[in-house]
Amino acid sequence: MEVIETRSLTKVYPGKTAVTALDGLTVSFEAGVTGLVGANGAGKSTLIKILLGLIPPTKGDAKVLGHDTATEGLTIRTLLGYMPEHDCLPPDMTATELVTHLGRMSGLPATVAKERAAESLRHVGLHEERYRQIGTYSTGMKQRVKLAQALVGDPRLLLLDEPTNGLDPAGRNAMLELIAKIGAEFGISIVVASHLLGEIERICDHLVAIEGGRLLRAASMTSFTQVRQVLAVEVEEGLAQLADELARHGLQATVAGRQTLLVPLGGDDTYDVIRDCVATLRLPLSRLEQRRHQVEELFRDEAQEVPSA
Amino acid sequence: MPDQATGVIHDLGYRRYEGPRLGRAQIVRALTWHSFRSAWGIGRGVKAKILPILAIVAICLPAFVNAFAVARGNARLFGYDVYTPQFRVIIVTIFLAAQAPELVSRDLRSRVLPLYFSRPLRQDDYPLAKYLALTGALLVLIELPLLILYVGTIASAKSGTGVWDETKALIPGLGMGLLWAVLMAAIGLVLASMTGRRAYATGIVAITCFLSWTLAAVLIQVEGGLGATSDGARLGGLLSPYTVIDGVRIWLGGTNQGLDPTSLGSYGPLYGVVAILMLAASLGGLAARYRKVSQS
Repeated sequence: MEVIETRSLTKVYPGKTAVTALDGLTVSFEAGVTGLVGANGAGKSTLIKILLGLIPPTKGDAKVLGHDTATEGLTIRTLLGYMPEHDCLPPDMTATELVTHLGRMSGLPATVAKERAAESLRHVGLHEERYRQIGTYSTGMKQRVKLAQALVGDPRLLLLDEPTNGLDPAGRNAMLELIAKIGAEFGISIVVASHLLGEIERICDHLVAIEGGRLLRAASMTSFTQVRQVLAVEVEEGLAQLADELARHGLQATVAGRQTLLVPLGGDDTYDVIRDCVATLRLPLSRLEQRRHQVEELFRDEAQEVPSA
Repeated sequence: MPDQATGVIHDLGYRRYEGPRLGRAQIVRALTWHSFRSAWGIGRGVKAKILPILAIVAICLPAFVNAFAVARGNARLFGYDVYTPQFRVIIVTIFLAAQAPELVSRDLRSRVLPLYFSRPLRQDDYPLAKYLALTGALLVLIELPLLILYVGTIASAKSGTGVWDETKALIPGLGMGLLWAVLMAAIGLVLASMTGRRAYATGIVAITCFLSWTLAAVLIQVEGGLGATSDGARLGGLLSPYTVIDGVRIWLGGTNQGLDPTSLGSYGPLYGVVAILMLAASLGGLAARYRKVSQS
């Protein structure tokens, strides 16, 4: 099932130098955890604002959970939880007060808002601290409060804008695990916008990459990993001969470094062919390992392959 | 079995909420109530309560004193429509300068607004709720002393007609209080929402209110003072919302000595128009401000 669908979505910010933030973006997001990847300025935040129904697109349309963003913004915002990128918490309120109040603003009755605020804060791992003023929190705790307020209204879809911003490596890992848990155990679809592909790829089921307001690629993670499994063969000498020998056996190797060849991994017999070729040429083999491309590299390749048209 | 259950915290996992949800109007009402409470410092720290409490105590004291004097057989000193005119301007301005930023500048400062706009509210709902809340808070501040004075006076009324006369005098007073609240809340909010810096917002509100009032008073004074019939004296009141409100009062038939020249000549309707324009400009500015904020 698609949770988000956009068709020729275009957003031009008027002005002296008109900025095209989205340029005919047609893409659909499946249920599950989707990474929305793009460099800063790629159009991620603009897309999120259109999906929330806060700004109208210049052209095209978008549907969130089957509702049109142009006409059903209120309904969509009942079903969405949004975690903004920047700091957005009042320092002089406690987490409990804030999340309860925002639960009310999501349309929860008073007692339910209180209960769900406590639960949401527990889910994100804030316990006794929730009665402390937010101004005294660490960055990691603040990010958790931002996530809790997105969860409090029981959304069907979460839009998380750069959720690991400002966190140290341990904090990033904890936040990513939390997001993965929400996606897997709570049955809530999640869109995680990030400029750090390497970081979010491990928690995503799907990836959507945009650049300059256009779709670069949308695919499931499994399709990436299946297609792009490779074997790295490292020999101390004779790299060119080995490549020729492999080619004679039908394996197209690419040179990746002074001593390394990358060979597409077809099946188990690929190992045998490589072993035999190395043995035939009597080359000193120093390494043979299966490697998964960093998805980031693949996107870089894709970007280079995209025709300029 | 019971011993197994002792001391075990069960993680219930994530629970969906399938129950009823509030409609947009009810959410706006909840936000209005929340903001009204903040305007009085309720649900906030002790410090936030000091100023609103001092303001309401101060503005009610003259009413208490007068009601006490009435009980001892003296006359009611203040007209309900011009209750402590200058003092009321000062108290309302202080309250407005302190509490309008409390309602809007804090949220701007902490950039919490995207969390509101990503919820089932329309763009205008947030400023609307804040406006209703501040109007309500000002109504309490302005009308409470009138009611104290009224209750104190009718408690010593000798006859039914005495009570009726007092009630007839009170109603225009309450009406003028409503006009004060409606207009000053709009002006206070639009000024305060210009900046997220609370100190600046307080300064902008206080300076605008006091300065315009002083300028109006100066102009009226140099043009011959209260009661003068020159155009300058009659139009001077248009410079400040407080004197505009007072002009409307006179135009509508108020006779007590207030802030403004007691004779407006034929300019009465102009005061009415300017009051409406001030209100419309303030509310329009407030809506435009939040439309911009919601998209940025």
